[in-house]
Amino acid sequence: MILIPDDAVERLFNSAEKIGKACDSAGISQWEVYATQGYGHSLEIEAGKISMASGGGDGGFGIRIVDQGRYGYAHLVDPSSAANAIEQALSIAKMSPSIEGFELPENQSSQKVGGMLDKSLLDLGPEELLSQGDLVIQRVKELDSRAVAVGGGLGVGAGADVILTSNGIEDGGIHTSHGIGIHVSIDENEDLTSSYEGESSRFMLKDLTASVDKAVHWSQITRDKIKGGDTEDCPVMMTSDGFSPLFSVVVPSAISGERLARGESFWSQKMGESVMAGHLSLIDDGLMEGGMSSGSRDAEGVPSQTQTIVQSGKLTGELWSTRDAAKMISEGKVESASTTGSAVRGGHSSPPVCGCSDLILSSSAKTHARDRLIEEMENGYIVHSVMGAHTANPTSGDFSVTTSTILKVENGEIKGALSQAGFSGNLASALNGNVILGDSSIRKGSYSTGSMHVPDVLLMDGLRINPA
Amino acid sequence: MVVATKGSVTDLSNGRILDDSIAKRAIESAMSYGAEYAELRLVSETTNSVTLKDGKLERAIPGQQVGVTMRILADGAWGVHSTSDYKSIDSQVESTVKLARAVASRRTSKQPRVGLAEVPIIEDEIHWKSKKDVRDTDLQTRIDLMLAIDREARDHDDIVSTSTGWSDEHIHTELLTSEGMNRVWSFQRSLIHGMVTARNETGVVSYRMRHGGEGGLELIEECDLGAMGETARISALRLLGAERAPSGRMPLVADRDLTGVYIHEALGHPCEADLVAAGDSCLEGRLGQKIGSDICTVVDDPTMRGGYGCYPIDDEGVDTRPKNLIVNGVLTEYLNHRETAYRYDLEPNGGARAQDGLHHPLVRMSNTVIQGGTHKDLDELIEDIDFGIYACGSRGGQVDTGRGSFQFAAQEAWIIENGSLSRPVKDVSVSGMTLEILKNVDGLSKDARLASPGFCGKGQTVPVGDGGPLMRISEALVG
Repeated sequence: MILIPDDAVERLFNSAEKIGKACDSAGISQWEVYATQGYGHSLEIEAGKISMASGGGDGGFGIRIVDQGRYGYAHLVDPSSAANAIEQALSIAKMSPSIEGFELPENQSSQKVGGMLDKSLLDLGPEELLSQGDLVIQRVKELDSRAVAVGGGLGVGAGADVILTSNGIEDGGIHTSHGIGIHVSIDENEDLTSSYEGESSRFMLKDLTASVDKAVHWSQITRDKIKGGDTEDCPVMMTSDGFSPLFSVVVPSAISGERLARGESFWSQKMGESVMAGHLSLIDDGLMEGGMSSGSRDAEGVPSQTQTIVQSGKLTGELWSTRDAAKMISEGKVESASTTGSAVRGGHSSPPVCGCSDLILSSSAKTHARDRLIEEMENGYIVHSVMGAHTANPTSGDFSVTTSTILKVENGEIKGALSQAGFSGNLASALNGNVILGDSSIRKGSYSTGSMHVPDVLLMDGLRINPA
Repeated sequence: MVVATKGSVTDLSNGRILDDSIAKRAIESAMSYGAEYAELRLVSETTNSVTLKDGKLERAIPGQQVGVTMRILADGAWGVHSTSDYKSIDSQVESTVKLARAVASRRTSKQPRVGLAEVPIIEDEIHWKSKKDVRDTDLQTRIDLMLAIDREARDHDDIVSTSTGWSDEHIHTELLTSEGMNRVWSFQRSLIHGMVTARNETGVVSYRMRHGGEGGLELIEECDLGAMGETARISALRLLGAERAPSGRMPLVADRDLTGVYIHEALGHPCEADLVAAGDSCLEGRLGQKIGSDICTVVDDPTMRGGYGCYPIDDEGVDTRPKNLIVNGVLTEYLNHRETAYRYDLEPNGGARAQDGLHHPLVRMSNTVIQGGTHKDLDELIEDIDFGIYACGSRGGQVDTGRGSFQFAAQEAWIIENGSLSRPVKDVSVSGMTLEILKNVDGLSKDARLASPGFCGKGQTVPVGDGGPLMRISEALVG
């Protein structure tokens, strides 16, 4: 079985061309048509069994028009209704403020990014996916007879997307994905422990059981309970899995050029200043081979870049889309800015907005294995997951979340698990304090804000643990 | 062709999109392949979203989207196909039956077959008409209303930016099943929201606000938008000077927003019968048991017109009704859909909701409200608290339903000292265990009502309403 039709890109191009011609006929000088079509299979796991299998497809078209710095957008499912959508976009453009200097980007040559497509995934049919589900459920039982896969699932997808503009940008391609999420719990002696783990890739996941092993491990290791002590301001070692969701809420919005210019970022007015520990760097890589948020062009057809945002602790870069850059210049909020190839979109129903791609936190200092980080910490806590990461405040960097996968460390050794604890602080301040990174850089899923590549991180300053 | 905009070729509130012959052919075909049940549900959404930044139009997005989901039950297991290409749905019947059978073949003798509780088979159309059909609203009207918030919100030198948003949707659903269910329904939702950012030498903070519900333009026009903007401005400026909240166990008084989030996270989710069936709810096996204090009575009510979580018919075609989750502290009802009602031999209570036409229904909340109590007002609730927290406005929450632990975060808060509000604090979050903290609810003000509209994520995102009175918890873990 082939997951996506061979001519999927060609079909989208044909439809996009028709919409583009309709824009030309309407006298629109600058237009952009984005088209997408996705297909996939998935299965759901519930109570130790596969509870449902599903398949399907979704797609549509987004039309952006620009006239004298004013822009309008509309989206549609069926290209034969394009005239109506174009009319809507035009009427919106007439009411939009004119932004001096805002034009759709010109065509520039772009660098091909590999690893976007795994042909073997195109042939992965529902039956094979179900067999993978069997393997996952079986693995849970093999590792611990008490453990149950209470939730989760597997999915495989292929998508085609195309961008076509009046300025000569014409690009399209197919990408694939394969993912697993597994929620394991152990419920024994009136004590339930659990862990959710997940992984996704543009290629066939090499080891489906890795997530299972981790979920069972954390469900087991958090059963050895100790009594929580008093509230402590203390070092915290966050595993990559625990740190990534919090990082994804707080950091990507802080490096948007527009938010920096509008004073909405905790790093506003700090360009060139130290904002992180001196050995840390932050790189937004839109050209990462196989990157879940990478590609040869951004969402408005500008060639992608690899850009350093924080270099040796100093803020040196920011992310811009074409419109944001023109707008902030026209409003006098910045003297100069230009697109950094950082436009992203959530599908055909969303116009391009500024966002990060594959965001990497790295260190020039020596990094350490998890055991060594625990030794370095001496006394503190290990946090593997948090509840409420989405409630963190991206404007200030403040967060106050809860964790039920937390281990207490004394004298460099794990003493046991707390049943639950509050965990609070300011992530911007913590990253600007004494920080040591682990030696594993793992990409933890794709968020609406891009894909995070963060290792285990030991944060020594400014964090508080409040045991339940 | 799909045209879902009022005034254009097809006015969906009066017509149908699914071709009757295609739909019937698909369902008959599924049954001929040996399916026990087949269902087609099409959802067409006409949407409009608008964003202003610093009072200027940032983007306006009109949109049309259609999706259809086919669910087939064969050999006691589900196969599902979802697509925006609804005209081709009948070509996917055989493969979807095969999917269901492939799932069924993996079931062990100890695992139950999926069955569906019986429900009345109804053929009808229900269209909830808004007083002012939101599709008739032009862009300038939307902008003018948003500017009413924006003008008040930005009226201070320390307010560095404002962002105002608008979202409305007209939702049209068609459901046909092999049992003969043939229902069409439609309704609207409207929402206005904003965020202000304040900055001075002490730092940078933000404050969010929302208003809306089930209905059309009238919902937004009825709101004092200027007061909403002013409240946001004052709160953001107050947060600038606020100190970090204390941590520890202490009495907590929550405003309506937080009471709503609390009851949604701590109780509502563990009451969802699909989570109970998955072995992922701390309330499994506790129907009829006392799990909260005597003053706790909680209702989930999709019929509460105007609430953001309203819907006329659930996504399995079941008529809606209020569900009494807790009555005087006793767990009396799970939220269910037909599958879980069958499994637990319960009456189906219309709790099936799907995000849109491309998703299958799950058990979800609607408008979840804790009923009012006997305390007159805030003063009476805090008068005997020596040291505690009064927390207001929601930044959201999360629950681990299996463990029964939850967390929610407040937008702003005050220290309560010696029975009075003393000083503002920030970054307040509250966590706890469902089965403990419900017993610690020891005070509720008299007036219960829905608070700000919200969204609930459970793999799929659906709009929800929640709220209640001001609520006092004798001991909560703060920070």
